[in-house]
Amino acid sequence: MRDFSYLRANSVDAARQAAALPGAMLLAGGTTLIDLAKCGVAEPETVVDITHLKGLDRITVDDRGAMIGALARMSSVADHADIKSRFPAVSEALWQAASAQLRNMATIGGNLMQRARCPYFRDPANFPACNKRSPGSGCSAIGGVTRGHAVLGTSEACIATYPGDLATALVAFDATVHLGDRQVAVDDFFLLPGDTPDREHTIEPGEMITAISIPASAAAGRSTYLKVSDRQSYEFAAASAAVGIEFEADGRTIRDLSVALGGVATKPWRARAVEEALKGKVLEADIVKQASLLAIEGAVDHGANRYKIELAPRVIARAILKVGETA
Amino acid sequence: MTVHDVRSRHGDPKRGDASDGTVFAEAVGGRLSRVDGPAKITGAAKYAVEQQLEGLSHAVLVESTIAAGKVRSIDKAAAESAPGVLLVLTPDNALRLNTATDWLGTPPPDAPYCPLARDITFSGQHVAAVVAESFEQAVAAAALVKVVYDETPAIVDLDDPKAGDGIPIDTMTKEWGDARAAFAAAPVRICAAYNTPREYQAPMEPHGLIAQWQGDRLTVWEPSQWLDGMARTYAEWFGVPFENVRLVSPYIGGGFGSKAFAYGYGAMAAMAAKMLGRPVKLAVTRPQTFTAYGGRAATRQTVALGADAEGRIQSIVQRGVNETSVDGMWVEPLGSVTSIMYATPNFSSRQNVVRVNTVVPGALRAPGENPSAFGIESAIDELAYEVGIDPLEIRLRNYAEQDPEAKKPWSTRQLREAFAAGAEAFGWSGHTAEPRSMRDGNQLIGWGVAAGTYPVRRAYGEAMVRILADGSVEVESSSIDMGQGTYTILAQTAAEVVGVPAENVVVKLGDSRYARAGVTGGSRLAGVMTGAVHKAATAALDELVGLAISDPNSPFHALQANTLVVANGRIKSPRGEGPEVSIAELLGSVGREQIEAMGDTTPAHWTAEDRYKNNTTIAMALSHTEGDYSRHSWCAHFVEVRVDEDFGTVRVSRVVSALDSGRLYNPKLAESQWKGGIIMGIGQALLEEGIVDRRHGRIVNNNLADYLIATNADIPDIEVISVGIPDPHSSALGGKGVGELGIVGVAPAIANAVFHATGKRVRDLPITLEKLI
Amino acid sequence: MTRKTRIPIQLQINGHHHELEVEPRVTLLDALRDHLGLTGTKKGCDQGQCGACTVHVDGQRVLACLTLAVQAEGRAVTSIEGLADGDGTLHAVQAAFLEQDAFQCGYCTPGQIMSAVACIREGHAGSDDEIREYMAGNLCRCGAYPHIVAAVRQAALEVASSMQTASSMETASSMETASSMETVS
Repeated sequence: MRDFSYLRANSVDAARQAAALPGAMLLAGGTTLIDLAKCGVAEPETVVDITHLKGLDRITVDDRGAMIGALARMSSVADHADIKSRFPAVSEALWQAASAQLRNMATIGGNLMQRARCPYFRDPANFPACNKRSPGSGCSAIGGVTRGHAVLGTSEACIATYPGDLATALVAFDATVHLGDRQVAVDDFFLLPGDTPDREHTIEPGEMITAISIPASAAAGRSTYLKVSDRQSYEFAAASAAVGIEFEADGRTIRDLSVALGGVATKPWRARAVEEALKGKVLEADIVKQASLLAIEGAVDHGANRYKIELAPRVIARAILKVGETA
Repeated sequence: MTVHDVRSRHGDPKRGDASDGTVFAEAVGGRLSRVDGPAKITGAAKYAVEQQLEGLSHAVLVESTIAAGKVRSIDKAAAESAPGVLLVLTPDNALRLNTATDWLGTPPPDAPYCPLARDITFSGQHVAAVVAESFEQAVAAAALVKVVYDETPAIVDLDDPKAGDGIPIDTMTKEWGDARAAFAAAPVRICAAYNTPREYQAPMEPHGLIAQWQGDRLTVWEPSQWLDGMARTYAEWFGVPFENVRLVSPYIGGGFGSKAFAYGYGAMAAMAAKMLGRPVKLAVTRPQTFTAYGGRAATRQTVALGADAEGRIQSIVQRGVNETSVDGMWVEPLGSVTSIMYATPNFSSRQNVVRVNTVVPGALRAPGENPSAFGIESAIDELAYEVGIDPLEIRLRNYAEQDPEAKKPWSTRQLREAFAAGAEAFGWSGHTAEPRSMRDGNQLIGWGVAAGTYPVRRAYGEAMVRILADGSVEVESSSIDMGQGTYTILAQTAAEVVGVPAENVVVKLGDSRYARAGVTGGSRLAGVMTGAVHKAATAALDELVGLAISDPNSPFHALQANTLVVANGRIKSPRGEGPEVSIAELLGSVGREQIEAMGDTTPAHWTAEDRYKNNTTIAMALSHTEGDYSRHSWCAHFVEVRVDEDFGTVRVSRVVSALDSGRLYNPKLAESQWKGGIIMGIGQALLEEGIVDRRHGRIVNNNLADYLIATNADIPDIEVISVGIPDPHSSALGGKGVGELGIVGVAPAIANAVFHATGKRVRDLPITLEKLI
Repeated sequence: MTRKTRIPIQLQINGHHHELEVEPRVTLLDALRDHLGLTGTKKGCDQGQCGACTVHVDGQRVLACLTLAVQAEGRAVTSIEGLADGDGTLHAVQAAFLEQDAFQCGYCTPGQIMSAVACIREGHAGSDDEIREYMAGNLCRCGAYPHIVAAVRQAALEVASSMQTASSMETASSMETASSMETVS
């Protein structure tokens, strides 16, 4: 880790100004930045500590939805009684992520800024080629060990999987990222790699996430996050799904459905085709399984990650059926 | 050396938790809690590289980024001018060291040794090192060292077309009968290939050391499974007398085979310390632990079983290979379980090793027996299904009543008892043989059984026991405790022999200035050291009693007794007449500071050189089939798995294992070791695999987020049952090996259970979801 | 911007005040181990993947390897050395670890214990499965997991019963009792 200067921000404005300085990076929980600095991927000249800012960790939930301050810790949000009851998928995505210690450190804003876990991205000494790190240098992952890499949203420049859990749930339920006064839909906040995999978010220099809001909905209230991984805990998803359902009065016909996929795409992946195919249908295993296959249309594998194409629709189907069956 | 003076005030640490009423917790065989436990749970236990020294500098390694080729140039200018940098070591400025004797005792060639490479044979090889005032400065400067390579094609793994068939290892060949002909003639035949990947020890404490020179005397604080062996290596590298090197390793944060040798980074750190004239600390980073020394070699084996229609084995034919490095030799004996587990009139086993561009592989819990058992214990399960009999029944039907290879009786073999006790506790009789016959919603449930074994590795040992003026007892040995419980069982041994409470025994380990000891590996330490301490303590007690009887100042002098008894620290006559005094009072009255006795189980005719070899090589170890018996520990694992039908994920939901380790010196600690082995086996079966980027010959999952070891959430309750009986042919006090045994057979038991659950036979570890989806 | 190589910081560790000069890049883990000689907190991976470095900051379990020392200024840090009472009486979790033999080599143990104390306080020790999940961030290569679960289960019961006693005596809420025991010197 190279040496850097340390600034402690006392206000959001001061943090933004400091973050606009060349080589400056915002530091919250540190679970991404310090980790990547140790890997030699992040080389900040100045870190701007925003964890002492007051009031940015508030969580408020009412009938309109949830407003979560950027500095709220993952664990606080996961354990928040109203989040659990009104947005179960959000709580479940959070407690199934990382470990209890990391969730106590990582903030909600920082979590959205989490970067890829591609082993080639994380090892600049051994793999100089990485378009995400050094635009134009190439992609070391393509042709390499790809078991964890994405099958959706990839480009010739990058196949790194978006690793997070929370954002998958946020995308499913149309959350909004607040960058001070500017607001961006979470789905738009994350960018596809395309030719510029170094650019992962729409955030501009000098901007800072201040909050995330999630609109209340019946589907969000009846939701789940299902995560499948090799290890039972403390691992990134092999595939995951955030699903919420609203039924018609008959309790069987799907009025509204939200589905998003994690662990298989280069960004949190909303599966709108699955939603559309099932709206108005009666919940039934075969129909759900068939519709779930629409989520992986256009998927491209790179050998060792082919299983994700099989796995992802099964995870969606299970999650839909699980939510549907809970009365 | 070590701090065990933190006493529990919460509860009584010696009360034991489930004493069976027949064994006092403090005696050998009792369930005494770890005597080093209080130091470990309060943070007081200082591990080797945690020593705080004046003037300590910090070294960081620079590793090769290619797997094969040459270093063309190293530009160290930027690193040398970085803040705090004291030294940048490369082959150009490295001190000339000597090649050291290997662990087998092979005399070394008269050639220089350099721990920093110019010729690159694997990715991750040490090419340079940076020493700086602070750890952070050394890390930052190491990233500034620019190495330019001339890369040549590498042989990346066993599947590489350039790898070839490898080198036959003739000493691994085992043949009796006519195995090929018998296989060809057998009514039932199965033949399959079983593979295990590269696996890593991954102890929670990464490797590293602090080296400090004072003149031509070197002190090394380094986690070590073998102080005297490593001291010899350092001494020979630097051309100083063995006595000039002191190894200190009070606690070891796990070894699993990986901390028995001095490695190149150790030479480098000691070299830097000598060049700088100040102590150097080198902490191997977690990613570097995957290449600074070797894990378990990847293995491939084909097992062919020929049997009659009732499943009685007629022939076993096995062919195996393991990988080794380009310039080092490691043999992972794949026929070790195959040749002894089942009775067969015809047998053939051969093994090759294949050179690939990797760090030389090393020992990982039950080297040889572990992958060997995966082959034979999977194969016999396949045979059971082929013949149509219960997987437990086929094992009993082929039970080896004597060692089929050595043709000698077993010293003890409680394997039949293990099968019975395990089956009973597991409920195996409810077993339905048909695959996919049990389910719970989306989960397919399967049951599997497999056996395991590990040879009793025996050696000679020494120990010092002192009875001190205050009546306490001190035990000294340069052997170690890496969690097996050495501190505790040696305290129990000395306490029982001398007749004092265990809390009045201080056991000092982990310093090469103490009585010498051989390697802690192959589950030999407990048997060797309890024997040596028993002998030393007996000698000390004899001298104490002798003094009490014969010294004119002794209160017992007038009693004219033949003997006296010592219990709970007090001396009295067997029939209770005469005085009763404490040990301290007796020593005070006869004017003795202490009684000191060396216990030594080595043969009387041994020379000093023999003893040196005994403690610094494995050349003097005793074969497990020496004499009239074949000596092994045994176990049977019964496992239940739940396989998600849609996702292919396997979770182990139940384990019952019955194990024969002979007499247990401390059942509480032995059970912990067994469970630890079983848990490592669960990880091996389902998670662990070093994944090589075949373009670069480099392990890409060289960290604990990507090289997956089991978490707490992956592990169910585990029941272990001891079925052992004292084995007088295996050790002085009747114990056999504990630590290696538990893992052997776990992976095949799980693979067998997965087959039972799903009908899919997975023969490549680990059993990951894509193999079942 | 002028770069200061070392900056003075003040840390509250186990109720004691420490002043030291460190580079901003120095982690809390290295500050504890290398600068303050508090080596009970272990370095297992130095990259947030094992849990051996678990300490409490303001009563919350966190990883010291991914926390900058300077970030801990103004916060109460508790390490394993500060868990037992001043008179050496072990915390219920420590005693349970010893009794259940919930460790072998001892290297992950301080982190396990710090994590377990927090796990109980968070209310995540309600069942064996919940303990397993909420203790999954602390790897143990010796494989003491079933005994760790048993120790956490046992300690959780002891903590609960002692809190009932405490709250009936002092009307203090159990959460406050727990955190004040640790954060106040």
